[in-house]
Amino acid sequence: MNTLNSSTAPAAGEYAGDEVSAIVLDPGYSTIRAGFAGEDVPKSVCPSFYGQIEDSSQYLFGENAIHTPASNLQIKNYWGSDGIVEDWDTAAKVWEYAITSRLTGARAGDPARNGLNDDPKQENGEATDVDMETIENQEKPLEESPLLMTEPGWNPTKAREKAIEIAMEEWGTPAFYLQKTGVLAAFASGKASGIIIDVGASHTSVTPVLDGMVLKKGVQKSPLAGNFVSNQIRLGFKQSQPEIPLTPHYLVKSKTPVDAGSPAQAIYKTFSVPPTDSFRHYQEERVLTEYKESVVEIWPGPGRLSNGTNEEIAKSMPGRPFEMPDGWNQVFGVDRFRAAEGLFDASAALTDDANPRPKDEHTLPRLVQAAVQHVDADQRPLLLQNIVVTGGSTLLYKFGDRLNYEINAIYPSTRNKLIAPGPVVERKYAAWIGGSILASLGSFHQLWISRKEYEEHGANIVEKRCR
Amino acid sequence: MPPFKDEQIIVSPASPVFTFSGALILLKQIIAPGSETTVAQLGLPESFTPARLRVRSRMFPAEKEGEWEPYKIRRRNDKPEASAAEPQDGAPGSGENKTNGTEEDVVYEEDRVSEEGAVWPIQEGKIVDWSCFFALITHVYNALNPPFHTPILLIAQPVWTPKEHEKLTQFFFEKFKTPAFGLMDAALASSWAYGVHTSTVVDIGKDKVDVTAISEFIPHIQGRVTSLGGCGGEALTQALFAKLSSRSWSREMCEQLKKSPICEILPAGTPLPGTKDVGEEETITNLAAAASTGAPGSGPAAASTIGNVPRGPGADTEVGDDNNADEEGVLDVASIVTGGKMEEYLAKKEKEKQEKANAKKKGGAEAAAAANANKPVRLPNSKRAKATFLYEDHRLLDNLKNMNLGSEKLAEMQNQLDEGPQRHGESANGETTSAAEANGHVDANTNARSGPIRRELEVGTERFQAASSGVLEKIADAVHRTISSVDEVNKRSELWDSLIICGNGSRVRGFKEALLAAIQSKYLISPSSATMFTSEIPSNISTPTGTGANTPQPQLGPHGGAPSHVNPLLYAATTAQTQHLMPHNPTSHLPGLSHNAHSSHGQTPTSIKLVKPPEYFPEWKDVGFDESAFLGAQVAAKVIFVVDQGQSKGYMTRPDYNDQGPTGIHDYAL
Repeated sequence: MNTLNSSTAPAAGEYAGDEVSAIVLDPGYSTIRAGFAGEDVPKSVCPSFYGQIEDSSQYLFGENAIHTPASNLQIKNYWGSDGIVEDWDTAAKVWEYAITSRLTGARAGDPARNGLNDDPKQENGEATDVDMETIENQEKPLEESPLLMTEPGWNPTKAREKAIEIAMEEWGTPAFYLQKTGVLAAFASGKASGIIIDVGASHTSVTPVLDGMVLKKGVQKSPLAGNFVSNQIRLGFKQSQPEIPLTPHYLVKSKTPVDAGSPAQAIYKTFSVPPTDSFRHYQEERVLTEYKESVVEIWPGPGRLSNGTNEEIAKSMPGRPFEMPDGWNQVFGVDRFRAAEGLFDASAALTDDANPRPKDEHTLPRLVQAAVQHVDADQRPLLLQNIVVTGGSTLLYKFGDRLNYEINAIYPSTRNKLIAPGPVVERKYAAWIGGSILASLGSFHQLWISRKEYEEHGANIVEKRCR
Repeated sequence: MPPFKDEQIIVSPASPVFTFSGALILLKQIIAPGSETTVAQLGLPESFTPARLRVRSRMFPAEKEGEWEPYKIRRRNDKPEASAAEPQDGAPGSGENKTNGTEEDVVYEEDRVSEEGAVWPIQEGKIVDWSCFFALITHVYNALNPPFHTPILLIAQPVWTPKEHEKLTQFFFEKFKTPAFGLMDAALASSWAYGVHTSTVVDIGKDKVDVTAISEFIPHIQGRVTSLGGCGGEALTQALFAKLSSRSWSREMCEQLKKSPICEILPAGTPLPGTKDVGEEETITNLAAAASTGAPGSGPAAASTIGNVPRGPGADTEVGDDNNADEEGVLDVASIVTGGKMEEYLAKKEKEKQEKANAKKKGGAEAAAAANANKPVRLPNSKRAKATFLYEDHRLLDNLKNMNLGSEKLAEMQNQLDEGPQRHGESANGETTSAAEANGHVDANTNARSGPIRRELEVGTERFQAASSGVLEKIADAVHRTISSVDEVNKRSELWDSLIICGNGSRVRGFKEALLAAIQSKYLISPSSATMFTSEIPSNISTPTGTGANTPQPQLGPHGGAPSHVNPLLYAATTAQTQHLMPHNPTSHLPGLSHNAHSSHGQTPTSIKLVKPPEYFPEWKDVGFDESAFLGAQVAAKVIFVVDQGQSKGYMTRPDYNDQGPTGIHDYAL
């Protein structure tokens, strides 16, 4: 299939000119979303976390591998703290795993044997061996699929060049394009202009988009996102009296019901060599995720939680019970409002030595304000009518209410409009869905950077073509 | 595409006038603990039955590179007429001998029992050897020998990727020229079989476990756990092997032990028998129990005894002879035989038997009395410290065959080595001869030992420890992960309430119960004592009088309507089901957020249940629903090919394929 020439009529097999086999890859801090363009949800959602056996270069990818306690298994993430990929070698491997394991399966075998975990020489030999009589003889995982990748709004040139290098050199993709998550999330909601508020795991970003172009200088980012909320919950547990124990599932053999607040009576598992701290941390995150889903609530306004009698009102609201994996349980009253208040009100964040008070300008209202200020005054109303909310952390209960209140407090207008898709998948995978839409547009074909162009101009072409 | 008509299916396929349109269902699946099997069926009977064709999912490399044979081809240097009279085949009269050029003295024969050198194209659910896999499918297809107009429904393993689906589609259309082809996810098929739209399917296979959450007949692809290694039936075998290898058991022995009904997974906390006083338990052999439990797979011998009077303990009871039994039970007979020491071995065994018989005669009266006393007790398997089962020694048979003996000699040796019940019938001189044994005796003569050689093995409490390596916990964790990854929080509770445990890896006795118990003990959220109605009765409410005048009326609180005088938790609990009464009436424009709006527990699971298997498939009820995916596929085939006449686009037709090519399958796959 010739995907590069946009002037020829699409073959009958291609529905409305869709390039059905294009792959959309949307790597995030917590998960990597990958799938075929034209579909409505990514088929492959893999954790960005990977396991590494200590003192060896053996990597473990995928859900199945990183949840089994082992004494020397370190759980790592390839993202740097600034929201830019740090460990490129591993990133490429994890991404490749996300694509091959659930989408193409180009290489036979499971992760232990499919070559991802061996040295590259071996894997090529094995692949050609197995694929002898297959329909298409693939040596590289993406030889027949154009690839659309997403990037954060603040991605530096070097990282962008690295991305196209990996796609072209390592995966052998015939065509490539790089697009910012903000634009794609706007597309997913059917908007060409708007403000995209994306609260992910490691970062919150606010991106002003005008006519499908990101206003680069307006892009705001802050570390106050899902992981920050997790830390706030941990702090809350630690500071409560008595301290709330956070025991991940793998430590518990079986539990027995206990009264609220009383110590857990569980049978714990014993390990001759306890799993690493990073493993425990990762497993604790699972419990915290459950806590976020079922307990945490954001003070919906009006006003901040600390304002006037708001806290009293919050106290009178019904609490929500939560049970730890070891059976310890309690009803959480006003505490559950405090966990995420820091996203909106820096002064309300819980702090200790390791977790200093967040900066005021990192809170959501201030980010939105800063982003809007970079836009010409006459275009601000247009943007404020299209405030797209996306990212997994925006699923916190009452998040939208509070955001709506905060924005209206800064820009009082009846026309401000929050666009927050109801279905959870659309919220979580907005950027991917936008990518899926974009890559399946017939008119998008002319945007692809073809292999030929890459070979001619080098990696720097990505700067010229993908704006 | 002409629709496939129902009548055509009901009409007997023997009638050649009709265009036959039964659906061919091919299911790649893992079957009978520890063996990978492909099951297939041609045609849909009125009442769904378990698959008619079962093929081990393996092929043997043929002489020519890249070609495959369904059975092991052996080269014999024997005289041709000897091979023609070869009785060793399990399927008599199927023309198994392919005499390849009698003018030479080289003869090729097919050996349908042996699995030496087999290639298994599917591992952990993944297709690892495509050419072999296609050969296997072709073999299955030819074995069914379908007429030209047969649509095909293929059960896809969850781990198969979309690209692989395309590859398969292309293969089926281009190789078999099938008029219509459908792909169905194995987990989805199971949920069809159970007739539930929302369920969590835990498919225990040979080397892997797949866990899929399905809501409203749509599988949650993103969070499903596919091909979780190291916790299928094979892991159980390995656990047994680890326990028993010190007693020089082979892996194959453990495999068969696992399939035998004496292997059982006890609920956590059950003390192993033998840890307390070991009295009468020891004296009971299990053959009777094996028959009476009626569990499948204990070989033809056990099957033949079912329905007859079960043999009580007595004839073969080896009282206090443990050491001897152990040694004898696990000896590597195969190597002895190949080493040419068979005569010695048999002599030794004979001697041992004599000794035992003598010992028995000595204490004859007491022993008989004890046996009688034991008879009515018949302890359940889980209470007995030791039990025996019949082991089918394929390796020994292979070795015998490889020795190139004449067929008569082979049969004779088989007979000598066999320890099946028939043998015991012969040797049970004057002791309790039941009807079953009499039958067995006849069998021994008529059957002329066509099956594998059987030996009796005894095993202690190790047989209860198949899941001791943490298999259950691993699966439980996978279930928790799968359900937790379902984005819609409000759907999770229902998913926990409808677990389906299927797959042949779960056939081991007690496995499902133990798995359910493991999940419950770890993940079940108990009702929080803080939300019970005991606390904080507001003091300003007076005792209600008979007139009801003082009964507290719900009042709207200042914020959002939570009544301030009623215990908020009580209020929450009582209004949990009624959306319009919710205190936090979600007036927000974020409907997605209202999912956890209000219930006393946002957390799941508060209850965990298995789905009850369907009642209306009598043939399936008998064999169990471990292969429920196949049943589901039958239902689906009926629906998509016959009932709705292609309206639901459940399959791809040939014109569709010609139009869209292999990638079009994604629009049709169930």
